[in-house]
Amino acid sequence: MTKIPVHLDINGQHHELQLEPRVTLLDALRERLGLTGTKKGCDHGQCGACTVHIDGERVLACLTLAAQAEGRSITTIEGLAREGELHPVQAAFLEQDAFQCGYCTPGQIMSAVACIREGHAGSDEEIREYMAGNLCRCGAYPHIVAAVRQAAQEFAS
Amino acid sequence: MTVHTRHGDALDGALAQALGGRLSRVDGPAKITGAAKYAVEQQLEGLAYAVLVESTIASGKVRAIDTVQAEAAPGVLQVLTPDTIISLRTASDWFGTPPPDKPYCPLARDITFSGQHVAAVVAETFEQAVAAAALVKVSYDETPSIVDLSDGKAGDGIPIDAMTKEWGDAPAAFAAAPVRICAAYNTPREYQAPMEPHGLVARWEGDHLTVWEPSQWLDGMARTYAEWFEVPFENVRLVSPYIGGGFGSKALALSHGAVAASAAKMLGRPVKLVMTRQQTFTGYGGRAATRQTVTIGADRDGMIQSIVHRGVNETSIDGMWVEPLGSVTSIMYATPNFSSRQNVVRVNSVVPGAMRAPGENPSAFGIESAIDELAYVVGIDPLEIRLRNYAEQDPHAKKAWSTRQLREAFAAGAERFGWARRSPEPRSMRDGNQLIGWGVAAGTYPVRRAYGEAVVRILADGSVEVESSSIDMGQGTYTILAQTAAETVGVPADDVVVKLGDSRFARAGVSGGSRLAGVMTGAVHKAATSALDQLVGLAISDPRSPFHALQANTLVVAKGRIGSPRGDGPDVSIAELLKSVGRDRIEATGDTMPANSTAEDRYKNYTTIAMALPHTEGDYSRYSWCAHFIEVRVDEDFGTVRVSRVVSALDSGRLYNPKLAESQWKGGIIMGIGQALLEEGIMDRRHGRIVNNNLADYLVPTNADIPDIEVISVGIPDPHSSALGGKGVGELGIVGVAPAIANAVFHATGKRVRDLPITLEKLI
Repeated sequence: MTKIPVHLDINGQHHELQLEPRVTLLDALRERLGLTGTKKGCDHGQCGACTVHIDGERVLACLTLAAQAEGRSITTIEGLAREGELHPVQAAFLEQDAFQCGYCTPGQIMSAVACIREGHAGSDEEIREYMAGNLCRCGAYPHIVAAVRQAAQEFAS
Repeated sequence: MTVHTRHGDALDGALAQALGGRLSRVDGPAKITGAAKYAVEQQLEGLAYAVLVESTIASGKVRAIDTVQAEAAPGVLQVLTPDTIISLRTASDWFGTPPPDKPYCPLARDITFSGQHVAAVVAETFEQAVAAAALVKVSYDETPSIVDLSDGKAGDGIPIDAMTKEWGDAPAAFAAAPVRICAAYNTPREYQAPMEPHGLVARWEGDHLTVWEPSQWLDGMARTYAEWFEVPFENVRLVSPYIGGGFGSKALALSHGAVAASAAKMLGRPVKLVMTRQQTFTGYGGRAATRQTVTIGADRDGMIQSIVHRGVNETSIDGMWVEPLGSVTSIMYATPNFSSRQNVVRVNSVVPGAMRAPGENPSAFGIESAIDELAYVVGIDPLEIRLRNYAEQDPHAKKAWSTRQLREAFAAGAERFGWARRSPEPRSMRDGNQLIGWGVAAGTYPVRRAYGEAVVRILADGSVEVESSSIDMGQGTYTILAQTAAETVGVPADDVVVKLGDSRFARAGVSGGSRLAGVMTGAVHKAATSALDQLVGLAISDPRSPFHALQANTLVVAKGRIGSPRGDGPDVSIAELLKSVGRDRIEATGDTMPANSTAEDRYKNYTTIAMALPHTEGDYSRYSWCAHFIEVRVDEDFGTVRVSRVVSALDSGRLYNPKLAESQWKGGIIMGIGQALLEEGIMDRRHGRIVNNNLADYLVPTNADIPDIEVISVGIPDPHSSALGGKGVGELGIVGVAPAIANAVFHATGKRVRDLPITLEKLI
C-alpha cells in the first residue's frame, strides 16, 4: 500500500510521517512515535484506553486514522503535565488512588479532563455517566469519581 | 528495570510512609503521566510484527493451510504453520512434573476448540501482518463438538477424588433432618478481561532469549520458555515492569508466547505479538462454567445438621482444570455431617484457568445462596442464621483458626449498613416502582504461603534499593515493599527505590492466590534486617566510624540517621557513616527458605508451585474473611437490577497499606457485581464458538454501574499467616458478592435466581 505524508501536531510538537493511509492514530502514536502512554485495550472503540484529545475534544485514537488528525492539535497523556507540574486531574488520580494496574489510566485521565471541560462533572451521577466509556477492570471507579469530583472543584474555585 | 520518580504528595507525610500507612502508590507518577512502559511497549531495532490465525471450527483436523496469497502480500516475512514452525520440546507443568519426552507445537493440527492458534503471519508492520493474516486459508475436516456443560454429549464427567471431603453420615443426617432444602446453582464461563491484552516481544541473541511480557510469574514463565527451547534457565530473561491487569490470567507462558519466540528465532529478529481483544477470549482460559447442588438438612432453629454438595466444572478436551467447588462449602459453617464431591466434564473449549478466587468464588455462590434459602424456610434473619452456625474452628481440618474476624465483620458491616432496619419479608421495601432488597453473604479465601527472596542495598547516598523479580499488576507491590524496607532499615519511604519485574533480580514465585504481599514483605523484611545489622555492625566496629569510641552494643537508625539509643554520642546520616568507613554500599540477600535448602529446592520453589505451604499446615487453619451487605433496586416492570449500596467488612489481617488494600477490595467487589449481573460467555451452539468475545458484548461493569462502596477493615495481625501479620487481600473481595446480590434480589422480588448472571429476563 502506498505511503502518504502525514503531518501530526502532538503535544505542541510537529511530526512528519510517511504512513499507509490505513494506519490508525493509535498505532502511529505507539508504534511509530514511541508515545506509548496512549494504550490499546481493544482496538475497536469499546474500552476507552486510547482516549486522546483532538482540538480539545476526547477522541478514540483506535477509531481515528492518523491521516484524519492531520493539521489538528493532538494532546496525549504525555502532554498533559506542564513543565513537570502534574495536571490537577493527574494529581487527583494519585491522591484518590484512582487506578491500580494503570493501563486504562491515561484514557481515564484524558476523558476526565474533557469531562470537566464539557461541564459534565456537576455531580457524582453525572461523572459516572460521562466517564462510562472508559472501562477499568481493576475496578477503580469509585475512586475515579472522587478524583474527577476533586479536580472539578479545584477548577471551579 | 524501573526507577520511579519521587512523588511529592503533601498528604504522604511521615505517618503515611511507615508500614501500615496510607502512602500513595510510588509507581503512580509514572502511570498517570504515560511514562510507565508496559512490557510490549519495548522499542527495539528491527522489530517485526506477528498476527495469529485461529481455528474457525471447534473440533476436527486441519486439512490444509494455503499460505500462497499471504506469503505474497506486501511486507510479509514468514507464515508459520504446524509444518513450518520449528519444533519445540514439551515443558513441565506448574507443579514441575517432568513432561513427556515429546515435541510441542504451539500451532494446532488437531482442533479441540474454536479460536485455537493454527498459523501466524510475521510482517514488517502491524498493518501488513493483519492484512496478510486475513489471506491465510485454512480448510478443515470438522467433527461434532461438545459445546458446553448443557450439551447432550457432555456426560457426567470424570470424578476428581482429591476434591472429595466427607465426615459424619451426610445423606442419613439429611434424610432425618426436619428442614431440608436442595437447590442447583450455576455459574457461566467468565473472563478475566484485563485491560492490557496478552502479548510479548521476544528477542534472541545467540541462545539467549529475552521476553518482554506481562507476567504474574517471571521465573515460572522463564522455566517454560527454557524447556520449550531447550536452553538453560539462566539463558531466558523475562521483563515485566508493569502489568496491565492479570486476575490470574498472566501466570503461565502460553502458546502465543511460543509462537512469537519461535518466529523471532527463525527470523533472527525481535518479534512482537499481541493478541487482539477477540483472541483474548480463546487464547487462554477464563473461569470454567460450574454447576453445583447444595442440600442442607437443618433443625427448626436453623442449626445445620448436614450438607451434601455435588459440583461439576468444565474443562477442555485435552487439558485438566479443576475449579474446587467445595472449598467454601466445607469450611464456612459448622456441621456434624458433610459430603462434597466433584466431577469435571470435557468440552471443546480452551482449558479454563485461574480467575480471581478460583474455586472459592463459585463455591461461595452455592453455599451462601443456600443458607439464605434456609433462613427464609425456617424464618430466621439471614444474618442471624449465619451466626448460629458459626464455625468456631475449621470444620474440615478440625483445627483452630489462626484468626477469624468474621463475627466482627458481620457486626461492623451490619451496623454501618443499618441491617437492623431491614424488613424481613420479600417485596416489603420499595421506593416508587423500585423494589428494594437487602442481602448479606460471607466470603473467604485461604492464606497461601510460600518462600520468598529479596535483595536490599543501602547505597552511598543513604538511599535504599530493593530488588525482586516479583511483580506489581496494581496490588501495590512497589509501594508496600518500599514501606517495608523503609521501616526496617529506618529511612523515609521516599528514599527507597523498588525494582521489580526482571527475572535477573532475586527470584520470586507466582504472584497469585493473594500470596505476594505476605511472601514478599517477609523476604524484604529479612533482607532489610540483615542490611541494617551490617550497617550497625560497621558503625560499632569499624575503627573509622564515629561510633567506634562509644563501645555501644547497638545503635538506632531512624529517618536515615544513626545514633545511640540514649541519644548521647554522635548523630550522623547513613551517607556520612558509609563515607567514614569507606563503603559505597551494603548489600544483603534475604530469603525465607528453610536453612538446609539446596539449590534444587530453591529452583523448585521459585519456578513451580510444588513447595507452596498448605494453609492448614501445623496447628492452624488460615483464611481471610469478609461479609458483604448489599442493597439492590429492581425495577418492578422491567426487572432491571441496580446495585445501589455496598458495605463490606473484611479481615485480611494486618494491612500494609490500607489505601491500596481498600482499592483492591473494592476492585474485587466490583468484579463481583459484574459476575452477579453482567458477565457471561455466550456460545454459538452451531459452531461451538463464543459470540460475545469483545468488550462491547461481554459486559464488564462500567463506571455508571457502580455505586459508592464502603469497606471496613476488621483484621488483626495474624502471626501464623505471614511474617508481618497480613493475610490475603486481592481475591477476598470478590468472594461472596454474587450471592449477596442474589440474596438481595430475592429479598426485593421474592424470586430466587440460581443461575448467574441475574439478568432481567430471569425476573419477569
